[in-house]
Amino acid sequence: MVAEAAAQPDEAAHPAERDRATAASPVAPVLELEDAFPDFEASSLPNALLRLRLCPGECVLIETHDTERATALADLCSGMIPLIRGTVRFMGYDWSELDQERSLALRGRIGRIHARGAWASLLRTHVNVMLPMLHHTREPVASIAQSALELAQQVGLPGLPLVRPDRLGESDLVRAACVRAFLGEPQLLLIEGAAIGAESAELMPVLLDLLLRALDRGAAAVCFARDLPLWRRQHFPMSQRLILLEDGLKSMRDL
Amino acid sequence: MLAAIGRFTRERVSFPLMLAAAGWGVIREAIRPVSWRRTVRHEFNLTMRQTILGGFGSTAVTACLAGVGMVYESLYWLGMAGEAQLTSTVLVTVLLRELMPLLVGLILLGRSGMLTLTELTVLQTSGQARTMLAQGIDPFLVFVLPRTLAFAIASFTLGMIFAAFALVFGYVVSNLLGSVHDSLGRFLSHLVGALAVRDYLIIPAKLLAIGYLVGLGSCLTGLTASPDDELASVMPRGFVHGILSIMITDILLTVAS
Repeated sequence: MVAEAAAQPDEAAHPAERDRATAASPVAPVLELEDAFPDFEASSLPNALLRLRLCPGECVLIETHDTERATALADLCSGMIPLIRGTVRFMGYDWSELDQERSLALRGRIGRIHARGAWASLLRTHVNVMLPMLHHTREPVASIAQSALELAQQVGLPGLPLVRPDRLGESDLVRAACVRAFLGEPQLLLIEGAAIGAESAELMPVLLDLLLRALDRGAAAVCFARDLPLWRRQHFPMSQRLILLEDGLKSMRDL
Repeated sequence: MLAAIGRFTRERVSFPLMLAAAGWGVIREAIRPVSWRRTVRHEFNLTMRQTILGGFGSTAVTACLAGVGMVYESLYWLGMAGEAQLTSTVLVTVLLRELMPLLVGLILLGRSGMLTLTELTVLQTSGQARTMLAQGIDPFLVFVLPRTLAFAIASFTLGMIFAAFALVFGYVVSNLLGSVHDSLGRFLSHLVGALAVRDYLIIPAKLLAIGYLVGLGSCLTGLTASPDDELASVMPRGFVHGILSIMITDILLTVAS
């Protein structure tokens, strides 16, 4: 992938940050929440310290029945929620130390399945799907479209949907959301499980397949599960199982 | 009491301040080559096409009506008063410098500004703008920058179309009704002669500034809508912002000239 000059996090970052990122061990975490204490006013997250360390190839399942809270935690991982103290690092970069331009460029390396407001209604679905790649990279449109088409066929779509998102059925929208999330080989996958309801259960084996391939190439993933049995049934390769409670992220084994 | 006064003042002042800040932000981003990614370029081209082609019919019809009213009436009444030599000056001052920027601004606001307002309000209130931010796509860069600049250029283009239609159609009708005996070339030549140097500056400046502010105001009104806002409440607000932008810009540039 050929990245836009300003959109390339490695070039955009401050030299000190880059040194810290490169000096780290080969198993430097992709995502790290280090005693992160989010601004309570700016999110619906619990008023507690959050800790999470996710290395390449790791996948964590976070159980929460509160969709809004899952979205807020995904936002926190994406550097969109201010912290009172602590740090959130992605690919070695502390979100709070990056300016807006660099933060936006770095977010281009995150693939996400959104639970709410996932589709820009003024754009057609195929443009929505390819938009992050079109914006952050200089890869030819034909090449992006070809990759998107291959992914679309893998998730069971006959092709890239050309209609507006509000014309698509729920199941097709979830499939299109998978295409968008996995397009461009992102380093981190944030999968808001609320977007995948029981009606899309047949999509789970495909999602598992895509996820396994992403983990194999060194990406990390955070899955937010509302319907836990749906996720357990597919034997997802979870390195950690956590639950989001009022006092923070807790391991399921500790409960 | 003090809080109420403060709240009232802040509410009234916040939008003009935001408009000024965002206006500067658009100029600053526009001169950076890195801002012009293909998504931004695509949005710019799309908005240009939508505003110019979409507004062409309305502009042409309005211009013909204004042309008949202004050109024919001026030629007829000034001719009756024995002041036919003032026709070109009156047309330049009233039609081209004052009426044309106002009418083009109103067409732009009604035809394209309200559409932008609706689209961006939905984008903001349904969480789509936040989704774009989560993907690393800044709605300011992708929508506000290209649309604002496209509106400014479209306003100038529509202004020129307006002037051409109004003068030519006005001349044709006047000629048919027998109130003008010069050729079209001579009529236009007199008009060009009546244009002062400042008119060459003030007319484009008015058109560009009005288009710029209509575009920027529509985008900002949409993107600053709160989750509780509905289209029914945002649209009148956007319309008032647009009308005020047009009127104030027109008056300020007239006074300044």
